[in-house]
Amino acid sequence: MFCSGVLAVVAFGVLFPVLLVVAESFQVAPPGQPAAYGLDGWRAALSEPGLRGALLNTFTVTFVRQLLSLPLAILIAWLLARTDLPGRHGIEFAFWAAFFLPTLTVTLSWILLLDPEYGLVNTWLARLPFVGKGPFDIYSFWGIVWVHVVTGSLTVKVILLTPAFRNMNTAFEEASYVAGATTFRTALRITVPVMAPVILSVLLLGTMVSLQTFEVEQVLGLPFRFFVFSTMVYDLLVTRVPRYDAATALAVLVLVAMLPLVFMQQWATRRRLFTTVTGQFRNQPHRLGRWRWPALLLLLGTMLVVLVVPVAFAVLGTFMKLFGFFHIADPWTLGNWKTVLTDDLFLRSLRNTLVLAVGTAVAAVLVHSLIAYIVVRTRYAGRRVLDTISWLPFTVPGIILGLALLWLFLGVHVLRPLYGTMALLVIAGLISGMPLGVQIIKSGLLQLGSELEEASRIVGASWWTTYRRIVLRLMAPTLMAVGMITFVGAARNIGNIALLATSANRPLSILQLDYIAQRKFEEAVVVACIIMFISLVGALVARFLGLRGSVG
Amino acid sequence: MTVLRLDGVSKLFSEAAAVDRVSLEIARGEIFTLLGPSGCGKTTTLRLVAGLERPDAGEIVLRDRVVASVPRRTFVAPHKRNLGMVFQSYAIWPHMTVFENVAYPLELRGGRRVVVRERVARVLELVGLAGLETRAAILLSGGQMQRLALCRALVYEPDLLLLDEPFSNLDAKLREQMRVELKLLQRRLGVTVLFVTHDQIEALSLSDRIAVMQRGRVEQVGPPRELYDRPASAFVRDFLGQTVILRGVVKELDTMRGTVTVAMEGSLAGSTLRGRSAPDASLAAGAAAHVAIRPEDIDVTISATALPEDNALVGTIDALLFVGDRYEARVALGGEQRLLLLLPRARECREGQRLQLGFPPDLVSVWQA
Repeated sequence: MFCSGVLAVVAFGVLFPVLLVVAESFQVAPPGQPAAYGLDGWRAALSEPGLRGALLNTFTVTFVRQLLSLPLAILIAWLLARTDLPGRHGIEFAFWAAFFLPTLTVTLSWILLLDPEYGLVNTWLARLPFVGKGPFDIYSFWGIVWVHVVTGSLTVKVILLTPAFRNMNTAFEEASYVAGATTFRTALRITVPVMAPVILSVLLLGTMVSLQTFEVEQVLGLPFRFFVFSTMVYDLLVTRVPRYDAATALAVLVLVAMLPLVFMQQWATRRRLFTTVTGQFRNQPHRLGRWRWPALLLLLGTMLVVLVVPVAFAVLGTFMKLFGFFHIADPWTLGNWKTVLTDDLFLRSLRNTLVLAVGTAVAAVLVHSLIAYIVVRTRYAGRRVLDTISWLPFTVPGIILGLALLWLFLGVHVLRPLYGTMALLVIAGLISGMPLGVQIIKSGLLQLGSELEEASRIVGASWWTTYRRIVLRLMAPTLMAVGMITFVGAARNIGNIALLATSANRPLSILQLDYIAQRKFEEAVVVACIIMFISLVGALVARFLGLRGSVG
Repeated sequence: MTVLRLDGVSKLFSEAAAVDRVSLEIARGEIFTLLGPSGCGKTTTLRLVAGLERPDAGEIVLRDRVVASVPRRTFVAPHKRNLGMVFQSYAIWPHMTVFENVAYPLELRGGRRVVVRERVARVLELVGLAGLETRAAILLSGGQMQRLALCRALVYEPDLLLLDEPFSNLDAKLREQMRVELKLLQRRLGVTVLFVTHDQIEALSLSDRIAVMQRGRVEQVGPPRELYDRPASAFVRDFLGQTVILRGVVKELDTMRGTVTVAMEGSLAGSTLRGRSAPDASLAAGAAAHVAIRPEDIDVTISATALPEDNALVGTIDALLFVGDRYEARVALGGEQRLLLLLPRARECREGQRLQLGFPPDLVSVWQA
């Protein structure tokens, strides 16, 4: 009964908004008019060049991102997990930290370096003979791809693949050596094929995340009128006369494109069960021999690009009188920090962010642990359905989820007073954080084994006492880690809440977006740095609590 | 002819010696077993031979070729050693079919397609896997995977076949069957085998010679019968089979015949047992000693009025367990001393019965306490 209640609420929170989006795509009347149904929205999404172009751009960017980042990520994961590369543990940690850099902050850093007019790399190169003008332009297709590769695309794959490579049964490789194959040949013929299901699974996860991209295109694409579907949806909804039908139709198209990926991902996850076998011997790292130093150089270079440069230049950027103008006389100032820190708007947003992040984290620990517990420990008939539904938000692009919640809260009378409050943003964060949170707690519970609980029941403790005294105590570090992850996610969340935030409940992440839209880069980068700081501290705390990148 | 020679080989894992100055010689065509409890260094020794670990001291010579030597600073990578190996988990590559698993090593050796096909078919036939060539390897049963692993290790006729606890993942019935199959196969092909196990039954039944290992060292090397009948150390004695041990004090030494007479203590005071002196035991009259015998070597006579004969003790069955093919009887020798005997099913036994236990002097050994 209780379990059914949980299932009903979760299903309502996840499925109903999506269904609402689908229904709304057929509602063609402008806002404020009586409802009328038709196919205009769909016609627009499929035929208007701008809309079709945005859809095409989404797939092209996604494809190129994956194509570039996957081989490199496999190589790096293999080097970190299976070889005697010097400093591999430190480097793995660096990738972990880089994963938590907020995308927008990294984007701002790369603008400093690659802006076609005043970007540092361009101005340096321009000084060389025969180079008339700096060759790089961040406001371009390749600029967008570059920022994506050095942010999420690469780091997430590395932190997911490295533990998987590490857990692989070494005997598969050893059998190949003994059979007469070299290290290189073994890597190609045995290691990568054996890992293929995991690699496919990670690739599909990466693709799903790529399809949801929002803020990079919002900042880098807008200046040259380059849209992907999410920025187009945003554009259709906020900047002109809202065209809800076309926006929702576009959203539904992307959701449909996600479906095969979801099924393939589930299939790949099931397939990879055979790759780890128990009873293995100690993991013997490969000797890289003379490849040691070139490999190290490659990884240090990658670290420079994914971690050091973004952090250094984001911080540097906050002290510039004019963002990006290194060549003016006396370019440095503390003024930006003063302006921002004394701005009423900033202080309100900071408070909103803290309320939002703490509220989401607390709610997530409660709700996600409840879902995970039902899925793992009970015999409830609907637990598989609950499991699947809790994973679904992963496939729903943030902007669509935001849109769906917007419809839900504006459309349903009783919920309307919540619009403009923090509660709405907390709900958005709770839903978008659900897949990861539930997964982490689930694997924690599975490792715990049920005997510990059963022993407590046998000696006479009630279910509730057992839950409090045994489960919660033992799970405390995991739950804290989930809380921290959700805290960080909520603090940097943009896509989910871009449509939901109003001037009353605007958090820092949306404030920086607004600053950028007003071309106030100096203020934006200060806010971006503060969000980055919150993210990194939260990530470190979560890591300290024992979280490792073994999800997915 | 020697196929493999280990000369003072050591391997350290964070300062602790997993393998400690091990020297062995394995002759062509024999099944040589490394036997010992888990953590004794037997698997590490096998991996050193395979080249999956590098030694920290000593030298490994495979067929006159030095494959690893610390003093000479040479190390031959595993893929250049021409060895076959069956892993504990079988390590059947899950992304390949049965055929591809076996063909892989031949391809690496540049075999022609027709030849590869022919040789794979022949070796699969040998272990009864013919006809499964196109089957996905992960769909095989445990026993079939084991056979496949064996095929893959044998197909290129390696100089030496390494087996790392190959039966430990099989159930008891299958294990017995595979044991016989392996021995028959080895006799047929004449391949030299280095076998690692912690299971004494496997070791005793399969091996031509066994090296018992403990804490990284070789305790004793010899044929199974010799190890069982004449263990060189208390560890080997207790590790292989069952042993009855009784405490006493040396009463008399007969250096001419190499026998020792021991006066029993406690509740057995008054009786004496005679046996041969264990190797390396320095026994003097009055020193504490252990009298050891295999329980199956004890002569059991049922007699209600038993008076002890020469070199015999009297006991009473205080617990009798019927385990199917025989009885397990716990026999009290009066007071605190007890021993466990196996009695044939045919015997008329009951609890409380008095037994006379004869200790044949040439099967009794006397050890330093």
